[in-house]
Amino acid sequence: MIKKIPNKILRLQKSLAGSLIGAGIVAAGLTAITAPAVIAAEDGFGPVKPLEFNAKKAELGKRLFFDARLSGDAAISCASCHQPNKGFTDGLALSKAYPGSNGFRNTPTLINTAKKAAWFHDGRLGTNLNDVTRESLTEDYSMNMDMRLMQERAKQDPVYVKMFKDAGYGEPSNGAIRKAIPEYLKTLISKGSDFDNGKLSKSAARGFDLFKGKAGCAQCHSGPRFSDDKPHNIGVPENPEIWKDPVRHTTYVAFAMFMGVENYMNIRRDVGAQVRTHKADGSDIGKFMTPTLRELKYTAPYMHNGMLKTLDDVVEFYNQGGGDDPENRDPALKPLGLTEVEKADLVAFLKSLSGQPLTSEAYVWKGKFPSEYPAIKDWRNVRN
Amino acid sequence: MLLKSSFIAVTALAAVMALTSAPAKAAGDPDKDAPLAQLGKVPIPADNPQTPEKIELGKKLFFDPRIGGDASTGCVQCHEPAQGWAFGDALSRGYPGTVHWRNSQSIINSAYLGKLFWAGAAKSLEKQAPSAAKGAVAGNGENDVMEARLAFIPEYRKAFRQVFGDEWPKIGNAWRAIASFERTLIQNDTPVDKYLGGDKKALNASQVRGMKLFNGKANCIECHNGPLASDQKYYNLGVPPAERWLEDGLAQITFRYEQYAKGVTQEMYRKIKDDAGLYYRTKQKRDMGKFRTPPLRYTKYTAPYMHNGAFWDFEEVVQFYNAGGGSNDFTDGTMAKNKTKILKPLGLSDDEVADLVAFLEAFSGPEIKMEKPKLPPYAPLPDVANAN
Repeated sequence: MIKKIPNKILRLQKSLAGSLIGAGIVAAGLTAITAPAVIAAEDGFGPVKPLEFNAKKAELGKRLFFDARLSGDAAISCASCHQPNKGFTDGLALSKAYPGSNGFRNTPTLINTAKKAAWFHDGRLGTNLNDVTRESLTEDYSMNMDMRLMQERAKQDPVYVKMFKDAGYGEPSNGAIRKAIPEYLKTLISKGSDFDNGKLSKSAARGFDLFKGKAGCAQCHSGPRFSDDKPHNIGVPENPEIWKDPVRHTTYVAFAMFMGVENYMNIRRDVGAQVRTHKADGSDIGKFMTPTLRELKYTAPYMHNGMLKTLDDVVEFYNQGGGDDPENRDPALKPLGLTEVEKADLVAFLKSLSGQPLTSEAYVWKGKFPSEYPAIKDWRNVRN
Repeated sequence: MLLKSSFIAVTALAAVMALTSAPAKAAGDPDKDAPLAQLGKVPIPADNPQTPEKIELGKKLFFDPRIGGDASTGCVQCHEPAQGWAFGDALSRGYPGTVHWRNSQSIINSAYLGKLFWAGAAKSLEKQAPSAAKGAVAGNGENDVMEARLAFIPEYRKAFRQVFGDEWPKIGNAWRAIASFERTLIQNDTPVDKYLGGDKKALNASQVRGMKLFNGKANCIECHNGPLASDQKYYNLGVPPAERWLEDGLAQITFRYEQYAKGVTQEMYRKIKDDAGLYYRTKQKRDMGKFRTPPLRYTKYTAPYMHNGAFWDFEEVVQFYNAGGGSNDFTDGTMAKNKTKILKPLGLSDDEVADLVAFLEAFSGPEIKMEKPKLPPYAPLPDVANAN
């Protein structure tokens, strides 16, 4: 029985070769059927394989990613929350949001995001980065952009007119914007970590054994990105700031209202994956997608709501068997009984999963953006 | 047969009326013109009665920028009391990062209009408010965020409960409250009202001459008739396109955005260079470049004029009509030939122009000023049991 399944997975892997979603399914399949103790280093952990991308499209996507004119009032860009020097996060427990709103979740890293099977902490989008880009651009608390206006802004910038053309998209369009940004995101792939380079310290190597064994981390943190792309409830405490700050709370209410969350005015809880799966028994409340463990060095604080400040806190959280949600907490979580040395070893291992910062010109648009849109000359005689 | 005879009857009746109605009719005059009249009672819709509490709530909401996308742009930002309850530039200011593409119209006496916006896209104030609050180059708000914000303002929670019985404030009721407030912004005691009410001293001699021209030689009454000095019908006068579209990238962006958003054909999107007005609603070529006749009341405070603010004072407006109107892509055959046949060169002398300008000023009384009310703050919601 057990012997047959890996063959099945191999076939699946073959049939889905090149598919991003395929990678997620394979990883998920492995964890579902394999006890942590038998996972070996070669069983699917790293490095993250680079993705092929079109250089000109990615270059265009890079400029778009850093351009504040892609938000409704031209105040924020994708990079306002996804900052390269912080592993494409913002260093805050809870993210900022579009002006007038305030975020209720921690900004996730975008490094390796092109490999994910589902996006956002609740996994509510399980399709592709085109949809993720659309959601982030248009959602009223994120960038609040009417994409028709966005298209016309891009058409007014001669740099974009040339870049879209050179990229093979023709004239700037909102459709092409939603293709170019994902193309850029494909370039954000981890590289150069001590783990991938086989340079684990003794402590980190012991930590890896614990990770696969006694600590049970690999049950969910599997595959090259150390994520099963599935939602789990580990009992992370609510972040009280969401309910204390009325603007944050309005933002959560607007989100919950739109997502069809019941009783949204009275709950004081981020329901997580329930917005995707809507289980009648509520067993999906409080589940959040397993985050990648890569680039943690740059992406503190941790968890979907930033409640844990350091990796020591994270390891201690699991050592105690996770947090307090007696109804829905994943039964796999148990107190681990780790010694101080073992905890330090695990932290050393986690730190070995961070690579070189993606802050060079290859990943960051360093050019300035014009403060005004030039007028189109001879406007009356030029086709729109 | 029946149709034919009734047609003849109507034609005959029209001929009789043409002979008997007081103002002379120009050639091509299509209808009987209601005379200028005092402004009557404010029409109040049966499903949104006025109450003092609702009006007070609506006033705060009108001034509250949280009713909008980034909490910077509420109703008042484009309808400033100190700018005639409109916006004192050719094109309205628009949402941050944009400029609007039409001239902002005054709120004063908007309660009487059955067609709101320049092309009549809304039929009531209750429908106008959300359209403005949500448009990408206006308020750029969305219902969920705006409604959520209201719930975190304790004073609004209390007021919505009292006025509408809402457990939590409903955004739809915000528009009703705003409409109720707007129905209090009335000016019905202008010199014209007083004069028509029998106070013959309310207009000076020049203004009386101007009124005679208005009703006669200048034929303004053809469209600017009735109590509002508007027939609320649609015409193409040949107003020239906004100059800003020629020279301002931001304005060009919005111009194209509007074509895209209003759903014109690809070919139309490519070639259009002026605001096609009513066409966007009907998609009929005959409606290109037509806009609803604006009321003349309170216009002393609402320059510049026309749907795109093409003219900066009354004299420019009167001279435009004196020349028989103008021309644009929807009059000269570039896109259509829709110029209204009502407009002809008027042959007004300089004195007559001055008299008409003087009369136009009589449609406005004292400026209606209003201090911005103190806006209630957000507060955290009281904690509740985790009831889910």
